[in-house]
Amino acid sequence: MTEIVMECKNLWKIYKDIVAVRDVSLQIREGEIKLIFGPSGSGKSTLLRCLAMLTTPTKGDVFLRGECLTKPGVDLNKARARIGFVFQHIYLFHHLTALGNVELALRHVLKLPKDEARKRAMSALEEVKMEKWANYYPAQLSGGQQQRVGIARALARNPDIILLDEPTSALDPELTGEVIDTLRDLAKKGTTMLIVSHEMPFAQEVADEMIFFDEGTIVETGTPEHFFTNPSTERAKKFMMRLIKRTRRE
Amino acid sequence: MDALQQLALILNGVTSTITVSIVSFFIGIFVGLPLSFLRVYGTKSAQILIDAFEKFFRGVPELVLLLMFYFGVGLYFPFPFKNVFFTANFVLGLRSAANQSQIFRGAIRGIGDEQMMAAMSLGLSKVKSVLYVMLPQVIIYSTPGLGSEYALLIKDSSYAYLIGVVDIMAYAVWIRKATMDTFTPYVISAFLYILLTFPIATFLDRWGSRKKKQLGLERR
Repeated sequence: MTEIVMECKNLWKIYKDIVAVRDVSLQIREGEIKLIFGPSGSGKSTLLRCLAMLTTPTKGDVFLRGECLTKPGVDLNKARARIGFVFQHIYLFHHLTALGNVELALRHVLKLPKDEARKRAMSALEEVKMEKWANYYPAQLSGGQQQRVGIARALARNPDIILLDEPTSALDPELTGEVIDTLRDLAKKGTTMLIVSHEMPFAQEVADEMIFFDEGTIVETGTPEHFFTNPSTERAKKFMMRLIKRTRRE
Repeated sequence: MDALQQLALILNGVTSTITVSIVSFFIGIFVGLPLSFLRVYGTKSAQILIDAFEKFFRGVPELVLLLMFYFGVGLYFPFPFKNVFFTANFVLGLRSAANQSQIFRGAIRGIGDEQMMAAMSLGLSKVKSVLYVMLPQVIIYSTPGLGSEYALLIKDSSYAYLIGVVDIMAYAVWIRKATMDTFTPYVISAFLYILLTFPIATFLDRWGSRKKKQLGLERR
């Protein structure tokens, strides 16, 4: 068995009167790709943000390579530097070019010298096939191109794991393909990823495990094979039916 | 004294008008920027203090502030408040800081928490996120508003003649007193004030609006 990269144990996130994440435990091992899916508003994004410590979990623990991130006194900036995060709505820095977006963390988090930061940023852009657009500002790029830069920004630091929060769902349908292709490339290279997505053919192709998430908690886990042929819970069955119908329509 | 001679005299006051306005403008930026970020990201007590500061300087008329600091506070602290340049810049600068803090705060809100979160997700500290991600965007976002603030300062600097700053207004008043001409000196100064405010304010407004649109800084 390979090493566990990220793990959470009995994780809860409670806002005033809403339980967004309810007692979730999961593990992602080196090179593994896990895919979370489920109805919108079920707490998937909140879970991902808790794992990246972008929001503090109410209860429970998050571990990154065995190091507990939820105990007091942990340097969270250092921890976040080792976690890549890709947002549904991308959130590129508007005032920086594609290259500037990717370079920023290399310069000011990893503190690389200018030339080296530039070289690594360029090679990250090459990985997502955006090197030709290095000097364009986000507003000059299409949604799909922006998201590829978002992915380059997340992976340029060589993080231990990349968390992707519905990376294609805010894009026009004709632009999802290029982003999915990029993710497929990353999968081939053995990048450890936890992806929230409803792109089913893609899931079937790359996911080692799928996690059906509803009402803030894990309802069912299994291989894509399992979910596509015979999910055991009624809720998962219904949801899969709807997804497959939708995919066919597209 | 004909109009040209009057103009030549009043031009002597332009330097003072510009100096007071520009110094106050920069005091406004350098005090207003940190205040705006502290107001948004600071502790509760910092927020309350900044609110009080803003309410005071925005709520009290500028004329009252000038006279109060020059004659009132200056009575007990002749140094530095009896220096007219100091007091004029102090009052105009801090009032501008209160205004600009609100302009910048609007920009921080407009740009949104998401940019901050994206920066933090890379492992940048809060301070570095503000410095490298928020600050440049806040400044661009605020430029049109800063244009109006600059125009306001040029105009409001005219009050400073009352405590003894020898600016455009001071010369106009002297000429009126000396020549009994109540029309020409004021028309000339009005013309000069328009000349000093309009081009720069318009430039900042246009440049800022265009840049904002180019970078897609308006939230959709």
